[in-house]
Amino acid sequence: MSAVKQSHSLPADEQDDSQKHALKSTSPWTFSNFLGDVLSHSDIDILLFSTVFKFLLFPAYHSTDFEVHRNWLAITHSLPISQWYYDTTSEWTLDYPPFFAYFEKLMSIPASFIDPKIVDLQSLQYDAWTVIVYQRLTVIISELVLGAALLRFIRDSVDPSRQRILSASLFLHPGFLIIDHIHFQYNGFMFGILLWSILMAREGRKLASGILFAVLLNFKHIYMYLAPAYFVYLLRSYCMSPAGAIIPTRFISLANSVLLVFLASLGPFMLMGQLPQLLSRLFPFTRGLNHAYWAPNAWALVTAADRLLLQLVKHLDVGLAVNEPGVASTSRGLVGDTVFAVIPNIKPVHTFIVTIIFQMVYLIKLWRAPTYKSFVAALTLCGYASYMFGWHVHEKAVLLVLVPLTLMASENYAYYKTFVIASIAGIFSLFPLIFTPAETLLKVVYSLIWGGTLLYPLHKQLYEFPSSLSWVMLESFENAYLYGFALLQVVVTLFPLMTGGNPDTEFLPLMATSVYCAVGLLWSFIRLSTLYITQQY
Amino acid sequence: MDEASDVMPTELPIERRQRHTRDRTTSLNSLSHFKSGPSKHIRGPSTLRNRDSNASMKSIGSETDYSEIIAPIPRRHLLQTSQSLHWLRVDTSQGDEWLNRGVSPVSASSVGSVFPNNRMANRLSFTALMDHERTAVGPSSTTDNRVLEDEGTVGAGRRFVRWMHRNNMKNWVIPSAIATSTLVKWCIGLGAYSGHDTPPMFGDYEAQRHWMELTVHLPVKEWYTYDLQYWGLDYPPLTAYVSWLCGRVGSLIESSWFTLQASRGIETGGSKLFMRATVLVLDLLIYIPALYTFVCSWQGTRSSRKRHAALLTLLFHPALLLIDFGHFQYNSVMLGLTLLAINAFAAGHDLLGAIFFVLSLGFKQMALYYAPAIGSYLIGKCIYLGPVQGTRLFLRLALTTTLAFVIMFAPFLPPFSPLSTIAAPITRIFPFGRGLFEDKVANFWCFTNVLVKWKRTFAGRKGFLIKASTGLTALGFLPAVVGLIFGGYKTRLQKDPKNDLVNVSPAMASAAPSSPTPILPLLPYALLTCSMSFFLFSFQVHEKTILVPLLPLTLLLSGAAPTDEVFLWGALGNNIGVFSMWPLLKKDGLGLQYLAMLFLWNRLIGHNPFKIRYGYFVELVSSVAHTAIIFLHLLELVVTPPARYPDLFPVLNVLICTPIFGLIWLWSIKRSAEVSWAMSGLPGKRDKEGPSSAASAISARSSSAAFGHSSIRGETGVRAASLGYASGRGHGQADARRRALVVSAGGDREH
Repeated sequence: MSAVKQSHSLPADEQDDSQKHALKSTSPWTFSNFLGDVLSHSDIDILLFSTVFKFLLFPAYHSTDFEVHRNWLAITHSLPISQWYYDTTSEWTLDYPPFFAYFEKLMSIPASFIDPKIVDLQSLQYDAWTVIVYQRLTVIISELVLGAALLRFIRDSVDPSRQRILSASLFLHPGFLIIDHIHFQYNGFMFGILLWSILMAREGRKLASGILFAVLLNFKHIYMYLAPAYFVYLLRSYCMSPAGAIIPTRFISLANSVLLVFLASLGPFMLMGQLPQLLSRLFPFTRGLNHAYWAPNAWALVTAADRLLLQLVKHLDVGLAVNEPGVASTSRGLVGDTVFAVIPNIKPVHTFIVTIIFQMVYLIKLWRAPTYKSFVAALTLCGYASYMFGWHVHEKAVLLVLVPLTLMASENYAYYKTFVIASIAGIFSLFPLIFTPAETLLKVVYSLIWGGTLLYPLHKQLYEFPSSLSWVMLESFENAYLYGFALLQVVVTLFPLMTGGNPDTEFLPLMATSVYCAVGLLWSFIRLSTLYITQQY
Repeated sequence: MDEASDVMPTELPIERRQRHTRDRTTSLNSLSHFKSGPSKHIRGPSTLRNRDSNASMKSIGSETDYSEIIAPIPRRHLLQTSQSLHWLRVDTSQGDEWLNRGVSPVSASSVGSVFPNNRMANRLSFTALMDHERTAVGPSSTTDNRVLEDEGTVGAGRRFVRWMHRNNMKNWVIPSAIATSTLVKWCIGLGAYSGHDTPPMFGDYEAQRHWMELTVHLPVKEWYTYDLQYWGLDYPPLTAYVSWLCGRVGSLIESSWFTLQASRGIETGGSKLFMRATVLVLDLLIYIPALYTFVCSWQGTRSSRKRHAALLTLLFHPALLLIDFGHFQYNSVMLGLTLLAINAFAAGHDLLGAIFFVLSLGFKQMALYYAPAIGSYLIGKCIYLGPVQGTRLFLRLALTTTLAFVIMFAPFLPPFSPLSTIAAPITRIFPFGRGLFEDKVANFWCFTNVLVKWKRTFAGRKGFLIKASTGLTALGFLPAVVGLIFGGYKTRLQKDPKNDLVNVSPAMASAAPSSPTPILPLLPYALLTCSMSFFLFSFQVHEKTILVPLLPLTLLLSGAAPTDEVFLWGALGNNIGVFSMWPLLKKDGLGLQYLAMLFLWNRLIGHNPFKIRYGYFVELVSSVAHTAIIFLHLLELVVTPPARYPDLFPVLNVLICTPIFGLIWLWSIKRSAEVSWAMSGLPGKRDKEGPSSAASAISARSSSAAFGHSSIRGETGVRAASLGYASGRGHGQADARRRALVVSAGGDREH
């Protein structure tokens, strides 16, 4: 009965696909039919098109991360495991957790057959066509994990047609395109694991969810941002009965499996006594509050306010004490400590406290309502709080917010709007990563098509008229903000042409981007927090 | 049951009712409404967006769900009166067709009347009803569509269009398609180009850049004489003017890109970016609007979904994209101008079309390959119009064309420069000084060169080879020329004393020159025949020139259904065309883009070359050819050619491609014969049919003349509607003559 009820809301597309699943099984002839059991035609379309498109991006610009990963291939292939976290041949030392190192080791084996120079430790800055094709291919192939998880999300979801759009939007996300396929990283793969873990939570297989998250943590430790939500959720809903009594067997099995995962990852290094060295590689606390380009979070706004105040103080002579080193500290592409001129300086511990306070609020809510939806919201918000208030946050970390947020986007219009503001601001904040002119056109047009064909249908499905005047006002402000991005892009593009590359004002477009995106992301953060706190789960 | 049919007139506007009656006569469609209907109309506005069909199945199936029907009058569905619930077991082998159709707004009541109102229907199980219906309609349509959907023949393009339409984003299809194709073009452009990093001569990229350099810095008189050894200008003047414009704009941005002499071989990122951008901008300005107007004018009678799908097919044309945006050339400008000319002809603006074609010729002399077809179309039209109107049109055309040429060459003519100046561009544009062929080209000469060494045999007698190639070419395009002129003669307007239709409407006589002729459907085939004949037989052909015949072939393909022979030939021709340029693309370092575009485009149009589905000859050819291609590619990966035969792979490539091109040429002749037969009847029979067919053409035209500019839609609309709808289904359709006309007139089978 409930199955029939579900299919009520499916548009005809879904019907096609579900019917096709049924149809395909009757003729297991060809490879395409075999695939057809798992994938519908439109899934194959999306897969094929995105793959073809990514193929075309092979010759595109790639950042130093490309060389970083090539170097890691070389380290893991040509050095014994005991040397991995000690090698300093290249400046790009291995600073991801051991699972990722194992992963690189795995990938280095075929690489050595394709072109031995790829895995040569001494061939720094090697970027022949072979290494480009090989490394880009590994990204595309490993991203299939993401695709598989997203497909699984469609199956058994409450509203498969919307989930299909959301899944497609994630698989084709401009963030992944910019960071993974142009800039070069393996985020698609990692987020595939994360989504798989969330999927397990949705299906009630919480032990698997916990194990997968532990695995993920050992691939890339940035996912620690999300760990508090996992901890509370698994503790409350898996290890405890609804009444609040701890179930010892579950607790022990969860603890043991997580421990086992960490042991598999860190064990060899513990045995060799390299744990301190490893941790010092993973957590370099010597960096500044902001990255070179300020990630659009709360600190970007604070820093911008500081710059503004400095100008005020200079011109108006208010009599405020100005911190001299702060005057010189600007953000001109130098990785270094941000020192404020007017506002008191911020230490890592401050950011830590602010983050924890925000996260506590969500975690208490999650503790009281440990459902799947609540979990996803809390997860997103934990990541969001870390992103907004964390120490030395990279702009790339915005994906930590956008990916789980997408899963909630089709909930209702309020969530959808939050998602849209965060997505557009977040994606725009990634644009400065790709600064070459050829790829500029690409990133803008691609994001526009993505928004037009994937966000717009959702908008049409979910739109609700604002109920009162204040909501109308709010809505028009938000829309004005979103349209502002077009203007911002024009300004950012034309600014260097108008000033002729004057180094004194070079940082202004970046600063403008960062501040403008930060406003949207902060607003979206407030929206989401309010929604989560006020909503019943 | 009775009350159900009574409700219908009040519920639906008239057109809809007409649609229902039409549906009733067509096919199994009605069964789909059967299931999907009630959800739309009975369940009220709350589910308007809900295009689900299971919902209604459920409301029919389980008696308990009545409470969910929020309807004005919940009505028992026809099938619910049936005692058995067998029909709930939807036959999976047949259920596909209705699922993939957009659900038309039909109420259950109207559908109910499809079935005979007797007790038999009550007792029949669902599958039996289906069979009943199917036999009533005829076997072709349902099986056809089922195969189509089931085997995934429907391309990704159509699926995308369908999805967009269903999500109420009809208006976004074209912008997003154009944006996506622009993106893909730009991404192809990220790769290498012809002659990248190969001093001292570089390649086509440097040639184009060099022309910008020299046109900006030199007076017009010296354009065609300056340093001919280093990529001297050898394209007609319009290319030179466009180069000048690009050069000026580029110099404004960065003058070092185009400094005379010093900029030779410049390969900075900025200059590459600028050059790529010029191709993209010119493409967006000329080729894309040409495609759009093509889809609107030639396929105006088709549903918007099909037009959108056709546009997608054309936008991602792999051969053109690879050559223009990868290899680097401006073919899309030349092709776009020709296409605009054809569109103008279709809209009845012959003079405008002639100007466009002159511009096309003026951009690249390769447009000459189309000239016999275009010329004989215009002559055919003059004949069609009769002695008075025809002569008038002929004179106008002659004047316009001459004037256009004179204006284009004006800077090389007196009074701007001495008369002798004109000699330089002419000799540069037509290089008979070169050999029969240069590289390995998949044409007749290169193909037979394996057996007969033409160049060696006729070493001293070049004149003979020139004559032979010219003669063969002319022989090759003769059928097209004859077909057009004869078609014009056959369908000519006559003043019939008995039937004074012509005299009745004098306004029409004046409107005559601006309305299309019946020979219009022949034009694409004639273009294909001519250009393919030039490609196969003429002198000094380059492998890139295959783009010229591929354009009409792709235009024909875009208008055909995936089950059609035209579609299959078109897809085969395009794939082979891209493959024939593989040696070139490989040299340019575009292997990856080559693979990517082939996969993308075939998936987009839903073509699988290895499936033999309908028993056409072309399917066999296609699977053999594609197998050979894959084999050759694998061989090339593994084996290095022996020293004796360094050109082993290009020659094998030629050996695979030439027969296919030859077959396409023959097929095109055969098709044009069919189309002209459909148009004017068999030769000799016409005397009896004459008045009536002329009258029908005129009446069709008179109905459309009122619409002025959009007359083409009306005209082909009438033709396609009358012919296309009645004869439109089933590939087993015996009446080849109707089929031919329908497909070429832009209407295709309804699915």
